[in-house]
Amino acid sequence: MKPRFFASFLLGTLMLMPAALSSRAWPKHPQQAASAKAGPGSSASAKETLPFPQVPRITAEEVERLAKDKGNVVLVDTDDSESYAAEHIKGAVNVAYDPTADVRDQDQLLSALPGDKLIVFYCNCPHEEDSAPLVLEMWELGYGHDKVKALEGGLTRWEQLGYPLAGTDVGAGATQQKGN
Amino acid sequence: MQCKIPAIGVASSNIVHYATGYVSKYQTGMPIRYVSVPFPFTGQPRAVDVGYVSGKDMLTGQPLMSAVVNALTGPLTVEEKMSGAPPEEAVEPRLLPPDSEENLRMLFEDKEWTDFNSIILPTEKRVTAMLKGTSHKPDEVIKTINITGGARQLTVEKVAINAVMAGASPEHLPVILALATQAPFGNSTSSMANMVVISGPIRNRLKFNCGTNAMGPYNRSNAVVGRAFTLMSKTAGDLRNNVNAWETLGNTMQYNNMCYGENEEALPDGWDPLHVEMGFKPTDSVITVGTGWSSIASVGASQSIYPTHYLMRDYMSSFCASGSAATIVIDPTVAGLLKDVHGFKTKAQLSEWFSQNVTKTNASYWGNGVIQSTAVPFALAGLEPYASWRKLPDDALIKPFTNSKAIHVVVAGGKVQTMWFVTDFGIRRGVSIDDWM
Repeated sequence: MKPRFFASFLLGTLMLMPAALSSRAWPKHPQQAASAKAGPGSSASAKETLPFPQVPRITAEEVERLAKDKGNVVLVDTDDSESYAAEHIKGAVNVAYDPTADVRDQDQLLSALPGDKLIVFYCNCPHEEDSAPLVLEMWELGYGHDKVKALEGGLTRWEQLGYPLAGTDVGAGATQQKGN
Repeated sequence: MQCKIPAIGVASSNIVHYATGYVSKYQTGMPIRYVSVPFPFTGQPRAVDVGYVSGKDMLTGQPLMSAVVNALTGPLTVEEKMSGAPPEEAVEPRLLPPDSEENLRMLFEDKEWTDFNSIILPTEKRVTAMLKGTSHKPDEVIKTINITGGARQLTVEKVAINAVMAGASPEHLPVILALATQAPFGNSTSSMANMVVISGPIRNRLKFNCGTNAMGPYNRSNAVVGRAFTLMSKTAGDLRNNVNAWETLGNTMQYNNMCYGENEEALPDGWDPLHVEMGFKPTDSVITVGTGWSSIASVGASQSIYPTHYLMRDYMSSFCASGSAATIVIDPTVAGLLKDVHGFKTKAQLSEWFSQNVTKTNASYWGNGVIQSTAVPFALAGLEPYASWRKLPDDALIKPFTNSKAIHVVVAGGKVQTMWFVTDFGIRRGVSIDDWM
């Protein structure tokens, strides 16, 4: 009997993803825990179900305090560029979280972030689903675990507290204080 | 989202057939209309770019702006009126039917499932034997690789297939499985390359070469593991020349990916192995992957008039310094000189020295395309030091390697000569090989 040969990659099906352009339809990060029910300030047991529980969070109040001391903290918005242009935390830079992208392209941007400052990633999502994965990636790149955190509650919490925002949707494109 | 606004793409001639072919077929299912301009447009005098606009569309031969208007206003064809997802591609079979060795080799080459060196054909028997090298189940998914138009699961069995093809033995499989977590390798229009570093006890157990000719074609383990990374990247990553693999020159390093072991036994006292610097234990076996573009080898023996780290500094000034990334591979003799003569008690001290002493002109920093796509948006958003650098004169000297932790030092080689490589490779944290035993 002749030997049978494996087709090299053919074991992989070519799955078409019609929703690939939607960030919410992208595959979840492999380290992400079960979907979260809890929000910021929830009970300790509920917090344990948060996605990426190993990622340290920092409150908006603490970030705002640090941001006043210019240069101590770098804020990174993980939404897509259009959302960032529309509204972001004042002074934040943009590194969009895209789990479908080549991680090396993403790393080029991430590794350009300063290594000597606190870096805080945030997303416009309730439980840091799109910001925490980039914290993990920063660790992979050698950034200190104490130097990279995710903003608890993200942009929504920041906005609720009336802290400074910028972007085209924030008062005719001008930077302004918003909220409260 | 449907905006109901006509839109077309304008692409340069080097990539437009990618946009109209592979991506159109797999990404959207709906053809997008393009007009095309010559390439390159960056780095050209303004008059040349203006000439492109007043010139002709590379696809239709019409005046460019007429082509833009026509593309925006022409009625939709039947094909363009399609909606919904494109039909799914037929799933290729797990097993090929029996055929002659010659025909199967031709098939593998036609499909670009090889690096075009001879492969060991992955028979069912060979793959089954290879799988005995790990306790992990064949159908375990290592990672899902996102390819244009979908996703592909890289399983233990698929990695074993590639390991067979590369000429590996079952004892290599855990190393290759750990390496698979980093597949596929970088794919860019520029000529990217990779570095695979083996650390810990596995080096000696599998006789990886860490000494003389560590990076040369003189060792089986170095050869097959490095090659397996290429085969996995091409097959599971679906990389095919001029279809979706676009490196304009390519890179010969992609044949073996600079696979070598660190000469941990020859490290100077106080210099930790690469994996220990990353937080692993010395007894852990780890594989680490670096990715970059440039590698410069030293020439001639070290001379006291100009110490080796001065030369390394000078060479590093030619790198783009994106993300402060650099990986320096040095012979143990150079490591000894750096520690005993020049006082670098740790690798970290040497990395910090480079961070503080490598300089380049402001113009040469911003004149790099990678920097344009990474640091410019940060500068425009006000992030320091980029924002301040943008305001400096072209001939001002800056220190672009701001993050010393991104500068890695690896010791390898046989103490035959005081040689070293400097590279711009960025390194991600290593991966445990022990987890894949």
